[in-house]
Amino acid sequence: LLPVLALALLGPAAAAEPRWAPALELAEGLAEELWGAGLPGDLPELEPECRSLLAAFAEGSAALTGCLGRRARPVRLCQGCHGHYRRLLAQYGSIARAVGNSSESHNCAKSILTSDRLQIVVTLSEFFNETWEAANCANCLKNNSEGLSNSTEEFLDLFNKSLTCFEQNLQGETIYLTPNNYTEVCKNCNETYTKLNDLYNNLQRMNRQGGESGHSAHLCIDVEDAMNITRKLWSKTFNCSVPCSDTVPVIAVSSFILFLPIVFYLSSFLHSKQKKRILILPKRIQSNASLVNIQEKYS
Amino acid sequence: QLTPSSFLRIGQLSNVDLNEDIHELETELPRQRPNEIPHNEKLLSLKYESLDYDNSENQLFLEEERRINHAAFRTVEIKRWVICAMIGILTGLVACFIDIVVENLAGLKYRVVKDNIDKFTTKGGLSFSLLLWATLNASVVMVGSVIVAFIEPVAAGSGIPQIKCYLNGVKIPHVVRLKTLVIKVCGVILSVVGGLAVGKEGPMIHSGAVIAAGISQGRSTSLKRDFKIFEYFRRDTEKRDFVSAGAAAGVSAAFGAPVGGVLFSLEEGASFWNQFLTWRIFFASMISTFTLNSVLSVYHGNAWDLSSPGLINFGRFDSEKMGYTIQEIPIFIFMGVVGGILGALFNALNYWLTMFRIRYIHRPCLQVVEAMLVAAVTATVGFVMIYCSRDCQPIQGSSVAYPLQLFCADGEYNSMATAFFNTPEKSVVNLFHDPPGSYNPMTLGMFTLMYFFLACWTYGLTVSAGVFIPSLLIGAAWGRLFGISLSYLTKGSIWADPGKYALMGAAAQLGGIVRMTLSLTVIMMEATGNVTYGFPIMLVLMTAKIVGDYFVEGLYDMHIQLQSVPFLHWEAPVTSHSLTAREVMSTPVTCLRRIERVGTVVDILSDTSSNHNGFPVVESNPDTTQVAGLRGLILRSQLIVLLKHKVFVERANLSLVQRRLKLKDFRDAYPRFPPIQSIHVSQDERECMIDLSEFMNPSPYTVPQEASLPRVFKLFRALGLRHLVVVDNRNEVVGMVTRKDLARYRLGKEGLEELSLAQT
Repeated sequence: LLPVLALALLGPAAAAEPRWAPALELAEGLAEELWGAGLPGDLPELEPECRSLLAAFAEGSAALTGCLGRRARPVRLCQGCHGHYRRLLAQYGSIARAVGNSSESHNCAKSILTSDRLQIVVTLSEFFNETWEAANCANCLKNNSEGLSNSTEEFLDLFNKSLTCFEQNLQGETIYLTPNNYTEVCKNCNETYTKLNDLYNNLQRMNRQGGESGHSAHLCIDVEDAMNITRKLWSKTFNCSVPCSDTVPVIAVSSFILFLPIVFYLSSFLHSKQKKRILILPKRIQSNASLVNIQEKYS
Repeated sequence: QLTPSSFLRIGQLSNVDLNEDIHELETELPRQRPNEIPHNEKLLSLKYESLDYDNSENQLFLEEERRINHAAFRTVEIKRWVICAMIGILTGLVACFIDIVVENLAGLKYRVVKDNIDKFTTKGGLSFSLLLWATLNASVVMVGSVIVAFIEPVAAGSGIPQIKCYLNGVKIPHVVRLKTLVIKVCGVILSVVGGLAVGKEGPMIHSGAVIAAGISQGRSTSLKRDFKIFEYFRRDTEKRDFVSAGAAAGVSAAFGAPVGGVLFSLEEGASFWNQFLTWRIFFASMISTFTLNSVLSVYHGNAWDLSSPGLINFGRFDSEKMGYTIQEIPIFIFMGVVGGILGALFNALNYWLTMFRIRYIHRPCLQVVEAMLVAAVTATVGFVMIYCSRDCQPIQGSSVAYPLQLFCADGEYNSMATAFFNTPEKSVVNLFHDPPGSYNPMTLGMFTLMYFFLACWTYGLTVSAGVFIPSLLIGAAWGRLFGISLSYLTKGSIWADPGKYALMGAAAQLGGIVRMTLSLTVIMMEATGNVTYGFPIMLVLMTAKIVGDYFVEGLYDMHIQLQSVPFLHWEAPVTSHSLTAREVMSTPVTCLRRIERVGTVVDILSDTSSNHNGFPVVESNPDTTQVAGLRGLILRSQLIVLLKHKVFVERANLSLVQRRLKLKDFRDAYPRFPPIQSIHVSQDERECMIDLSEFMNPSPYTVPQEASLPRVFKLFRALGLRHLVVVDNRNEVVGMVTRKDLARYRLGKEGLEELSLAQT
């Protein structure tokens, strides 16, 4: 019962009032809270080492949550939070591995992770892992997940360049202009935009080829979102990508093709010899009953 | 030979001679015209013959049975199981081959066209992309159509009508040959890659049947290779059992539905059915699915994961919102009604078109041109629809294989292109599983309309291709449309998910077109992997069948009829009890005597005007004017083998060392017995005598003249007979009932109709 209570208390304490105090202090604070709840503090419910590990995890997850929340829009999760995520992983790992020193039967993994129904630490860590995987962040980080990969850096450089280009070319004009009059932007930034678009398509292709063996076909969310924003700006706000619509030739060619079957069927109807079947007279006794049937048919 | 009967008939009608005044006869009775008429549905072709299911229990057979002891029969039983396993494995492998080749070739084609469209969207000149697409399609389909039209026309279409006829007991020429299998497989790959509105599932059934027929014989006459195994099974009776197992394995590979496959065989061709056969067929089906799964899992890189069943996998329908409630049952039934009406419309249009094709487009080169035109038009319609569509969906988070941007903003794709710019199988799965809002109603409506006509136009072309997937696709499109409008009407309440309605629509449309019931329900259930959908799918299929049958019959039955096949339905027409065997039978019958002169036999067999296949054997009475009592029945094939081996009475006396003929000699000649022209009989030999008593079937089935048509029919159908001798009370032969005599009576719109025989 006691560990349950301790963990149940920990949750709100960590989430509601995140404190930036050193971990040990936090752990002591916890013990005090236990006292406050009317529980004897010297019960062997959580060893001090474990308590400090738990506190470190709580702090780490709070930091990661904050980071994720702040970078939700525009999406910068992978760039900004990979450090937090790595640290949290390490903290979770040390909880799972750590062994208390007083008695062999008790260790931190057991008392923190598996001794109650809720298992909040596990749930939290699973949530972060899932989010990280859904965002596909591994895709734009280096293999040891320290820092962004080269291709991502390149992409983000180009992305910033094109954003700067947009801003510069828009400065002269007022925002009250009708959407059609962004021709300046379209002309000047076309090169950067095309480069960015090509790079993105390349990345996607490479990823898809590599993805045959491994994970999913998506790029990491930062890159996807950046490209998405740029594309929206480019084709919806600035209205730059105006495809040539050549309706007349398309109509001409398609009506020509659609016309062919009519010619074919008409000509085969008129010129082809209709296939005739040669009737065979059956060898049969003709009686009245069947005659009646046949005459009925032709009457 | 015709004279007695024609005289009889004319005698009853009028006294004029046939030759003197044809004109008057014509006006009086159109049926009497012995000349040419345009093809119509009320004909029976002479081209088709029956299969010999009935065992000929002659002396040789009894001898062989005596020689083979009990243990040997057990090995025969084991061999049957081995053959079934081999059928399953090979069918599965063929399915894999088709799947993988189609996937790669179609992927290549769509990538080329997509790159081209992407290039021309920015630069202008999209008409070139259209031309490229149309030309690619037309040229691929041309190859597919040329091999079918010029090499093996029987490989055209889905093959299900042909297999249905085979299991019914009609021998369709060339239908289970190795050459047909090769053409069928190549043809179906080419027509799917060529972008026609077709599927590759129907042809799998035919392929399975050919594989079964080939393996069970242990040899291939096309390749002239005899492996000297499974000689016991070289009979129509045995072959047919294996063919039904092959058809089941085909269904099972195509849809990942082993039970559905077994039930398909049961529904389509079960005149003879027993528990052991069912169990063996089930075994073959399971092996086939298993083979397909294991090979595909290796191909997709996750070896030994056996969860990729079937050529078409409808995907999982097990999320929470895919459930259904009791309130939805009437809606499903309504969808069944719609499916029945649309299916009937489809069949009626296709009937009209097929009739035109049979009458006017019968030359192979014209057929190839037609197929190419259809391919080009299919591409054009697809392109124009995509071009005109303004339905753009965000590319992110969707699983579109070939997203076409065209006029959409960057980062979006054209939603019409997911339906048209894809193989039909993929489109079906997309319609089932794409999240709500992936298609707008306008797109779906236009797609349904266009695809309906394209699919209807495509079925019956001289390419090998099935109708299952196009029907599912049409149904899924309007079903999804229905689901969307329903959730719009009910303001997005409980029945939100359009995927469920897409599934029901697909079932309704397919049921409305092909009118299969039991097997289709199980196939759909197995393909979706959800047993709880069994009930609504059953209701939908039932309604679709009832409504559809009110207008026209099913597509396969219609095509069987248009091919003038003498197909025997389950029962004789209900109002036919007044007809007796006397009116049904053909007469007079060409009989042979028990000890017959060789010359007579040769003459009878060579007579082109009457290519009879079975001859009653009567007592050799010196007084030839009198018809003598029936002693047995002998088949043309047996006579030919006898003539070939020169089993004459005189020769037997001359050389006692001559080897006695065994049953094996008959089996070796099976199934392609040489024509009579290839057998040389010298003038001296013509005078010899031939003793048939050892070789004839001494106890043929007979009926009295007074037996009613339904009675004769029942006997004939249930026993799978080929010849039924009609005798009088002195056991003298008066007539012969064959398949065509029975199949010509049909219940039409105005009561009982009679079909006429025709040379085709």
